[in-house]
Amino acid sequence: MKVNPKRLDVQHAADDLRRRTLSGMARPLDRLIYLASTRDYNTGIYYHDGLASRFSEQVVCEALADCHREALRALVGSSLEELVRQMNAYMDSTHTSPTDFIAAWKKLEPYRVAVPVDTDLLTAEFLFSNFKIALAILEARLDNHPTAAPSAWLPRSPGQ
Amino acid sequence: MMQLVLFLALGSGLILLLLVLAERNRRVEGGAEAVFEARQALVVLQVELLPPAILERIFQQNDLQYVVAQAPRQIQELFLQERQKIVLSWVAQLRKQILSLKEFHLGAARFYAGLSPRTELRLAADFLVLLSICRALQIAVRWRGPYAAPRMAGRAAAAAARVCDFSERSLDFLKPSQLEPFGGDSARNPTLL
Repeated sequence: MKVNPKRLDVQHAADDLRRRTLSGMARPLDRLIYLASTRDYNTGIYYHDGLASRFSEQVVCEALADCHREALRALVGSSLEELVRQMNAYMDSTHTSPTDFIAAWKKLEPYRVAVPVDTDLLTAEFLFSNFKIALAILEARLDNHPTAAPSAWLPRSPGQ
Repeated sequence: MMQLVLFLALGSGLILLLLVLAERNRRVEGGAEAVFEARQALVVLQVELLPPAILERIFQQNDLQYVVAQAPRQIQELFLQERQKIVLSWVAQLRKQILSLKEFHLGAARFYAGLSPRTELRLAADFLVLLSICRALQIAVRWRGPYAAPRMAGRAAAAAARVCDFSERSLDFLKPSQLEPFGGDSARNPTLL
């Protein structure tokens, strides 16, 4: 069996990234946003200084892109309930006011630029649609409890 | 007079020959385009539209149960509208790619693929059933919402996978292993390079 040496390098770089950086981000949403932020908006090329000291630029770029696609798959596989939970936790981690956060996300839809460039139309549409619904749910929670963060909102039991 | 008739006959013959040649060229070019489009359609179907993971997520009911249990009425409506859009988009894309494969099988496939008449008949029936299911699914989802016919969606996906399988075999001749190495004999005989 022939092993592509370049691919092996990419795998090593991706493993390194997972072990050192991504392991600190438990939620796929956090990983997706972080990895999207390592990508140059003008060229679509990913950069990572730490990895670049040990691997070539092309290998680093491919490893980051692989991990980005992995994060997207994990997020698309998350249920809506899980996505709401992840968004809530992410919102808390930004230390922004929930009202401002929800307003900005509804208006700017930053999730649209957070997906890998080769994401297919159906997957992207599905994820964006779930983000839209999750934001509406978070907003409704905030409207019900304006003084508390949405995480403090107690969900109703199905019988209520 | 006789000479004029001969000239006219010869001229007509030449014009006819030119028309036949032009038509043959057009068909070959159109055929290459159809093969390319069929290959594209196959990739879109297999990579984007038919993977079970995305289909299961779209038609899973746990998101609906969560929204019904946890969210106010207007969000429930928003959720159903959004899911309806996604399902309709999936069906429309599926139908478009299937139509592209159908065009290939109706036209170019017979030039390239050696399908038996029995296989061609079965394939024609599959296309007919699949396109009918897509139409029925579109109507059901428009009228009764995204979760109206999950079984029909499953049948559409299964029939589409069958059509992909046939089409993949028809397009097998494009695989590198089936092609002569570039350079043909020259590759085997370096002195010709």
